[in-house]
Amino acid sequence: MKKKMTGKSIKKLGIIEGEALVTTDLVAFWGGTDWETGDIVEAGHEAKGKNMTGKILVFPAGKGGAGDTFGWYYLYRSGKAPVALLCNRPQNTTLAGALLTDTPMLYAFEEEVEKVIKTGDRVRVDSDKGTVEVL
Amino acid sequence: MYLNKEQQEMLAGNYGRGCQKAIEIIIQLAEAQGAQELVKISYAHLMPPDVMFYPYGRQGKWANDMTGELTKDVDHLRVPATIEPKFCNLAVAKTLQYPDNIIEEIRDIQGRATDFYERIGVIPTYSALPFYVRPGRFGEHVSIAESISILWYNTMFGSRCERDDGVTSLSAAITGYCPLAGAHLQENRYGEVVIRLGKELDFAKFDDADWDAFSLASSRLCKEKRPVFVGVPRGIGITELKHLLAVIAVESGLAIMHIEGVTPEAPTLEKALGGAKPLTEYTIGKNELMEAYELANTATGSEVDFVLMGCPHLTLKEIRDIAEVLDGKKINKNVRLVAVTTRMLYEQARDLGYVDTIVQSGAEFTYDMCIAFAGTQVKGTIATNSIKADFFYAGFSAEGKRKVRFGSTKDCAKAALTGKWEGKV
Repeated sequence: MKKKMTGKSIKKLGIIEGEALVTTDLVAFWGGTDWETGDIVEAGHEAKGKNMTGKILVFPAGKGGAGDTFGWYYLYRSGKAPVALLCNRPQNTTLAGALLTDTPMLYAFEEEVEKVIKTGDRVRVDSDKGTVEVL
Repeated sequence: MYLNKEQQEMLAGNYGRGCQKAIEIIIQLAEAQGAQELVKISYAHLMPPDVMFYPYGRQGKWANDMTGELTKDVDHLRVPATIEPKFCNLAVAKTLQYPDNIIEEIRDIQGRATDFYERIGVIPTYSALPFYVRPGRFGEHVSIAESISILWYNTMFGSRCERDDGVTSLSAAITGYCPLAGAHLQENRYGEVVIRLGKELDFAKFDDADWDAFSLASSRLCKEKRPVFVGVPRGIGITELKHLLAVIAVESGLAIMHIEGVTPEAPTLEKALGGAKPLTEYTIGKNELMEAYELANTATGSEVDFVLMGCPHLTLKEIRDIAEVLDGKKINKNVRLVAVTTRMLYEQARDLGYVDTIVQSGAEFTYDMCIAFAGTQVKGTIATNSIKADFFYAGFSAEGKRKVRFGSTKDCAKAALTGKWEGKV
């Protein structure tokens, strides 16, 4: 099945393809994720134990402390960050982190993105056009 | 996007490179959020990475990388600004198991950073509770980087701020502007879901830990949707509010919530919801509350090695609770207790005799620092009265090196005396 959705892109950073890691829980990059491994470590998290490194992370929104942006930045600098972020709401600390590291991020799709894309799906993110395609 | 003359001049570099970089960051953020213009702010609360965010090792260098260009030629801020706690008060760094070489690195990076921010005019609060020092005004726009304070200014004062991070709030303080988006706009402030307490429970019987557990249970249900809490006692105190807001701020990533009959934008449920119907109504019963307690208690045995309290900073009521439990007693020789608050509340607690009582028990009590971050490197089981701190202690290590016991302030203080956990869960 080919499925295409349109959202809002935070910045034009070209096209990227990758494998999706999807969770319906909110994600924190500091505290909720181990910045040295990219593993989700939060107690009770739906995706606990999954690794986000190099993936296209699909989630409803970011959460965490206001320092979550720094958590993201450290995750990125240690080479363990996802390559793109897709979510419903552009929670500001997540958005600021993506901008700081020039990571493509799309939000506000016509459908709840984490309910359309499945973990393991091959996804193409076009940050110039603001589109996401399940390949 | 519309820019006024002053903003255009900042962007052109007429106010220096730091200010230019800062306005570039704010404009980029505004565009990403879909804002049409920027808005003038009247206050900022800063969270500089080199003050607070593990200022040692490779991340200490990264912290400097994040703000280096931004602060290069900045010599003043355009609005009054307070500042987050330092990473660690060096007086307790050894107790928190930092080796000497790391302590020296922290002294250097954190010290240089705090010198800089004080020099450019930051009010040196080093506090996670800036609303004690600079309360918000209804309808004013502010930029705050501290999750409970963002939620507090929006929710309790009716001030307007987004979930700004350290780089954004610093850029906002340098320029005096932030994007007019998110919770700065009325349409993004209304409640979306309703949360009430199950009939089998009673808010009047809640201790401080119950508020934390209630907040975690609520966050797991409402997620990113703004809740309106109904049935909360109108006389709810500052300590209870701190526990309620601190957890949901981290666990839901919300900028604003409402409490019917308590917060200024929620005189009635209908007004809090902006006249719309709630998307969902949730009830937190005994099962949800107990599930929250179980999630927060990642340790299983009864041994406790560290009791760490003060995230967000302890209120006077919590300090009194600790003093009452420790009064005239000695803490267990195998346990270290570190409690932290703001300098302002520490001075009050000293006047009231609580500091002497706590320190004479063998516990350590200090100020100006973040026990949630600095406490993440200890080995052993931690007891804490904060699910927010718990989130960082338990979540920080994939190998589960740090197990956590969570309970009330008094239960934590008791664990320091006995070395055993005898809390609710």
